[in-house]
Order: sequence, then structure tokens, then C-alpha cells
Amino acid sequence: MPTASISLRDVGRTFGATRALAGVDLDLEPGVIGLLGPNGAGKTTLLRLLATALPPSQGKVSVLGLDPEVPAERTGIRRQLGYQPQEVGFPRGFTAFAFVDYIALLKEWTEPAARHAEVRRVLGLVGLADLGAKRIRAMSGGQRRRVALAQALLGSPAVLILDEPTTGVDPEQRVVLRTVLAEIARTSIVVLSTHQTEDVAALCERVIVLDRGRVRYDGPVTDLTGQAAGRVWLADEPDPAATVSWRTGTGRYRNVGARVRDDVEHVEPSLEDAYLLLRGGAAEHEPAGEAAS
Amino acid sequence: MTGWHLDDDALRRYVERTDSLAEGTSAEQHLLSCEPCRARVNAAASVIDPSVIDPSVIDFAAVWDRTRDAVEAPRPSVFERLLRGAGLPAHEARLVAVASAFRAVWLTGVVAVLGFAALAAAVGHARGVWLFLAVAPIVPCLVVASSYDPWMDPALEPELVTPYPALRLVLLRTIAVLALALPAVLLFGLVVPGETAFAWLLPAVGFVAVVLAASTWVSPLRAAITVSSAWFALVWLLAARSGSPDAIIQGRAQAGFLVLAAGSFGVFILRRRQLRQLRPWR
Repeated sequence: MPTASISLRDVGRTFGATRALAGVDLDLEPGVIGLLGPNGAGKTTLLRLLATALPPSQGKVSVLGLDPEVPAERTGIRRQLGYQPQEVGFPRGFTAFAFVDYIALLKEWTEPAARHAEVRRVLGLVGLADLGAKRIRAMSGGQRRRVALAQALLGSPAVLILDEPTTGVDPEQRVVLRTVLAEIARTSIVVLSTHQTEDVAALCERVIVLDRGRVRYDGPVTDLTGQAAGRVWLADEPDPAATVSWRTGTGRYRNVGARVRDDVEHVEPSLEDAYLLLRGGAAEHEPAGEAAS
Repeated sequence: MTGWHLDDDALRRYVERTDSLAEGTSAEQHLLSCEPCRARVNAAASVIDPSVIDPSVIDFAAVWDRTRDAVEAPRPSVFERLLRGAGLPAHEARLVAVASAFRAVWLTGVVAVLGFAALAAAVGHARGVWLFLAVAPIVPCLVVASSYDPWMDPALEPELVTPYPALRLVLLRTIAVLALALPAVLLFGLVVPGETAFAWLLPAVGFVAVVLAASTWVSPLRAAITVSSAWFALVWLLAARSGSPDAIIQGRAQAGFLVLAAGSFGVFILRRRQLRQLRPWR
């Protein structure tokens, strides 16, 4: 068994009668791990479990060798944790600097000069060095996401949990953020959920696909993309044999189908093709009994 | 580009900041237009022993940091300064003061409702006293609940996964709210005739404890609203049946509120681990 910094064994989580996660076994090591899945697949629940914001209903979670269910060990985890929730609200009237400074206080940065320097560092990392004094309410959606990311980066955490960090962030800034996260992932475990497969393809070595609370795929991004080889083709019309097809900018249709075809004009598959193929297969073969959150 | 360059001595004095003001200004003017001399300054500055620099000379990096702090770092609010004055460490005063409950609009609303109830009790007849008794005990628990309900404090999720103990944060905010709300209600109580002016105190403490305990199961605001509604119903029932507030003012009832407070606080402490799953009102 590999030596993992984070491990989950048969982890499940229910909310009342709704099963959000079931039978999840994972070992996570330093690097960027992408979490893909449709809405309600259990991505946010899994991230909240890893971030110690939520206990599992069953199974065992271990983060950096510590047990989040033991209060002292949970505090130990939190000292090495950065977490950007899916939706971060900001107290009214706060500037970017004031908000990150406030979270830094909670993260035990009590000495003002060191804390302010750290706040400036993380705001600089997310490209907001000159907007520290700007009120968050006056910021764009993308800038607010970056403020939320900045607070997660405080203290260069060993575990960084990011729930849709690039939503609403413009392309240039996404590239900057990818660079920052790739650098952090040299020594830290970065787990990020996203709906943007291009972020996963550009940044992650490993991808986990969740569906209805279960792990549908866990492995290298290249292996998942490879699964779509020979299954993506262009045609002048939508192909009835395809699982999904859509009109591209050239006016032709990109078709993704479960069966390998020889008689068509193949194109290089993308991670999105492979993901859609996986999802399409899941929708066809899966019993509809389990609910998810 | 100019025809002359700084000689080695002048350059050394400039880098070590031992030159005169006039000489330094002259060197600086020259450096603005002379690339080779700037390169020599950089090379000299990178090997210089910091101990030879006159300590009385301004540390520009520190000045710049202080300037940025003055622009960017949040200034403490009046309430935060009060907390510091009361002996709370600066960082904890900040943590307490950011609670949404200290928003001016919210506090103004609370003061207005209390003022209205106290006025009604002072100038009106028995119904005014009932109104004061109905409103005064629930104000502290509503303000406490709003100081840490995830709906009122939208940043609660990142706050709760920091090493700072959730119990300490909630209690600090509770104590701060009570320190602010209780004197305000007491002040309004001064215009209320008779024992009613103080009869609300123990119910108020009991309700705050009930809200703390209940928020380990349900949203703090939901708990506070439920407690308030129950209290309103009870006060209305008593007023309708007996017309006298004695049932609340008498010793046995007051002792009951004390027991309620102690019991609820005990439950809260026992279930404190559930605080990390604080549920929002909506």
C-alpha cells in the first residue's frame, strides 16, 4: 500500500435520507488532484470531509497521519490546512486585506507585522497585490474568488482544498493561478474540484471522477483521456451512434461515442470527451436508486 | 548618459549612506541617468556588510511596509477599541468585533425596539409593562444568535476550519454581545416602573444559554426565533389570563430561569464538538 498523506477508507456521508458519499477509498499524496463530477455528485461533501468541516457518517479519514475526529489532532490538521469553500461570503464593509487579515488571525498569526507581510504575500500570489484596500463588495466575481483563494494560501499549507477555485476567473488569471498551484503542489497536496476540464487537463496529474457519491474513475489524467481514443470523430451531421454530439465553430459536429469506430474522421480526444464518455456510460448503466447531494 | 562617473569613494559613501545630503542628492541625480553607475551601486550594495550602515538612517523597506499598513490594514472600530481597553488582546478584540451583530444597522434596530418597549412601559399602563417584559429578555439571545449564525456570518465555513477553537469564538462573541446588550436593556429598564425593570434579567440569561445549547442541533437564529416565539406566547397567555406580571417576577419563576440557564449551558458545553457543524438559518 502506498504511503499516503491523506487516506479515506470506506468513507460515506449521509444527510438524512440522502446519501452524498458511499464507499470512498482514496490515498492522496503531494500533487494536484482534480475532482470532476456533475452537480450533486458529492464533490463538495468530499472536500468538506477533507477540510475537517464535516465528519463522515461512516469509514475512516486520516489527514497527514492525524485523525480529524480527535479534537487535538483535528486542530493539528487545521494548522496545516488551507480551504476555499464553494461559496465564501464576506462580512459587509471588508476590504480584501481586512478579510484575509481576519482569517490569518484565526490561523494564529497574532504578530501584526508578520501577519501583514503574509497577507500581502498571498494577495500578491493571486494577483491582488494592489487591490488590498479595495472593498470586496466593489470587486468583480473573479476578484472575490481570488480573495477567497488568498485566505486558503495563508501559511503555505501542506493540504490545500479548493472547491471550484477558478469559477468566474478570467483566462489570464487562471493561467497565473495554475502556475501558483503547480508550485505549491511540489510539496503540498492540492485537491480541487471544478467543472472546467481544461483546468484539470492543464494542471492535474491525477483526476478523480465522482458520480452519485461514488468514485467512478481514479487515475492519471492521460489514462482517462486515452480511454476516449478512437471514440471521438467529426461529421457533417450529428451521429445517432454517438453518446453526445455538438456543433463546433467550424460548422461540423463533434461526436463522442462509446464504441470505437473505424469508418469515421477521428480527432484527438480531449479530457472533456473522455469525461463525457464516462458520464454517458454511467448514465446508461447505472441503477437510479441512490440519491446524492 | 553623462561624461563623468561616481568615483569609488563617493559610491561607497552613497551605498553606506555616510555621504552628506548635498553629495547624496548629487549622486542620486547622476544615477538617474547613468546605467553603468547604477550597476556599480547594485554590485556594491549586494556585498555590503549591513553592520556598517548607520542605524540612524531610515530603513526604507520598513517605512514602505508601515505606509502600506496605514493604507491597507483595517482600523479598529470604536467597539474594538473598547474591547482592547477592557483588557482583551488586540487579535481577540478584532475577532469579536467583526461579528455581524455589531453592524450599526442591526444595533440601531435593537435599540429602537427596546426604546419603544421601555417608553410604552413608562408612559403606558399595564400593557406597556407586558410589552417590556416580552421584548427585553429576547433581545440578548437574538443578538447572540446573529453573532454566529452562518447566515449572518457568511465567512463562517473558512472560519471554523482554522485552528482557532469554535467554542472560544462563539463564547467570546456571546460575552461581548451580552456586555453590550445587557447594560443597554438595563438602561432602558430604568424608565420602567417597579420590579419589572429587572425581572427580565434571568430569563434573558436563560434564553441565551438555551440558544447556545440548541445551536448544537439547529441553526442559532432558528433557535433564537423559536425561543422568542415561545416566550411571546407565554407572556401573552399570562397577560390574558391574570393581567399581572407576578408569575414572572416571583422568586420561584426566577429560580426556574436560573436552573434553565445552568442546565442549558451544561448541555452546550457537553455538545460543544457539534459547533463545527453550525447550520445556517437558510
